[in-house]
Amino acid sequence: MKLRQFFPLAFFAFAGVVAAQTTLNVVTAGDQNMVDYVNNYLAPKFEAMNPGVKVRAVGTGPGDGGSQKIYEKLSAQQKAGSAEWDVDVAVIHQLASATMVNEKLLMPYRNDISAGKLVSRDTAKNALGANVDGYVLPMFHSQIAFAYNPDLVKSPPKSFVELNEWVKKNPKQFGYNGVKGGMSGVGFVTGWVSAYSGLSEKLEKGPYDATSAAAIDRALLGLKDFNQYVVMTPGNAGTLDMLNRGEIAMGPVWVDMFYTWQADGRLNPKVKLSLPSPGLPGQPMYYVIPAKAAHAALAKKFIELAESPDVQADGIVKQFNWYPGIDPQFVQPKLDQAAWNKLFTDISPADLSKYGRPFPLSPYFKEIVEGYERVVLK
Amino acid sequence: MALALIVPALAVVTLFFVAPLAMSVVVAFRGKGGGITLEHFAKAFDYYSTDLLFTLAIVVLSTLLIGGVAIAIAGYLTLGGNARAVAILRWLYRWPLFIPFVVAGQVMRTFLAKNGMLNHVLIGSGLIEPLSAQSLLDWRGIVIAFVWKQAPFVTLLLAGAMASLETQHIEAARNLGARRLRVLVDIVLPQVRGTLLVGLVLSFVTMLSVLSVPLMINPNSPTMVTVDVAYRINTHGDYPVANALCILSLALSAIGAAFYLRHASRASTAAT
Repeated sequence: MKLRQFFPLAFFAFAGVVAAQTTLNVVTAGDQNMVDYVNNYLAPKFEAMNPGVKVRAVGTGPGDGGSQKIYEKLSAQQKAGSAEWDVDVAVIHQLASATMVNEKLLMPYRNDISAGKLVSRDTAKNALGANVDGYVLPMFHSQIAFAYNPDLVKSPPKSFVELNEWVKKNPKQFGYNGVKGGMSGVGFVTGWVSAYSGLSEKLEKGPYDATSAAAIDRALLGLKDFNQYVVMTPGNAGTLDMLNRGEIAMGPVWVDMFYTWQADGRLNPKVKLSLPSPGLPGQPMYYVIPAKAAHAALAKKFIELAESPDVQADGIVKQFNWYPGIDPQFVQPKLDQAAWNKLFTDISPADLSKYGRPFPLSPYFKEIVEGYERVVLK
Repeated sequence: MALALIVPALAVVTLFFVAPLAMSVVVAFRGKGGGITLEHFAKAFDYYSTDLLFTLAIVVLSTLLIGGVAIAIAGYLTLGGNARAVAILRWLYRWPLFIPFVVAGQVMRTFLAKNGMLNHVLIGSGLIEPLSAQSLLDWRGIVIAFVWKQAPFVTLLLAGAMASLETQHIEAARNLGARRLRVLVDIVLPQVRGTLLVGLVLSFVTMLSVLSVPLMINPNSPTMVTVDVAYRINTHGDYPVANALCILSLALSAIGAAFYLRHASRASTAAT
């Protein structure tokens, strides 16, 4: 057994023995910063508000694989017929949420908490085409956007069409990381296909239709031509590195990574962001409560706190540079102007809701990334 | 009794090497319905034939360069006249041995970039014009990282073999007026050919399996097969095609293994 898997079990075992107090088990997919966020930021606040309650956060690893582990754990407990499941709150990706709602592993809870009324984006109801209405609340949104150096690019392209013209006038100044080097490149490719296939609605909302393949391939053929004028970067961080060294003038990046790097002094503070039409994808992480969570009432209180405008402002936006999970209009009054400006100067909340798009439905998603290898790379 | 002695070793090999390998072969050939199929190989060739050739070209080129560098360093360590230079070189050349591939990849990523350290030095010293500076983070970066990392390993083996040679031949040749390069090529190298071959074959096989360096330097097309294998699994959960690619790279490393076995069997024949 790997150490990583051992620790969560050890935690649970330990918690069982000494639980003179109630333990709220929070299991989160994603990178270590997610666990840190719960342990160091949310847990102390929640424990102070609820004496006798201890919050335990456990991470299951980055990417959809992390969510898959949570799914497997809950699914096993469901099949075993357990009356109480040992996960109270889970934080998962969109893909897994659809499966888990479908298999009745989750409890609808949005209408039970007041913060449920503060969410505005479509992602609270729709996860890559699956109806998850009521079962999820977005913890935060992350977004892919173009980062550009304003010293070299006076007015960044406002759309994919303008970008296509721009790279031909400025060859080798735009860089992205393909589909094998991280999600910012994948997001750029799905954004390109949305823009050039004329299928953008269908890719996001479905229904899946195999005959769309021809239109997707046509869009990818255009990307093959586009690729002759751009630089391929080594990974999400590679794009930021090359921007910082002035080797490229523009490229798609994750917004939270961008701000974190700037805050750490790893990225030229002059570099700015822009979100082109018809949009680039982003994705939320969801708070969910398992259908038979042992402490469902406490779990709801926990999410109530996590989704409150104060926590969304200070924790999600200010400290971790994510976009809020709830509607930004409830978050702005809680932030000082500087913190707010940092997140929304380059991309206004209006642009974000207009051009911040979901990833395509999973069958389309697969078709696009496979098509990229078949059409663009060959 | 003898059987009992080898059982633990045999069990470990069977359990952790033969069984997974057999599983990998089975998955690579098994179709959706459970029958035997070549569709995964067809897809692997369809999508990744460029990458397979690219991998072979990179690894062969790196192997040749490693051979050249190792011969040069080991030759100087054995025949060099300046004792201080030999001592410095001996101390210096082993450093990359202790650096993991992933770190080598990371170091190269900043060193070889367009505005990286290498180009800064070249521009600063007036060797190239700032405008002609270009990024080496493509196939060249991978080759440089491989040679940098593996040359010391082959040098270590080769210098050891050279040091254990009888010195009379070398001295006799020098006394008769042979230059050092001539001594290296005609006297020393023929005697350590076997060691050189083994070192190069081991490097060849090691480099075929490195994921971190191509992933960090150039994960985009064309890239090495290891990146494609990781990508099929991580992004698509597509184990059949990943296994087909693994078997194809196994075929590549079998070329190296064939060389190695031929040498080993010849050596054991010579010893008996």
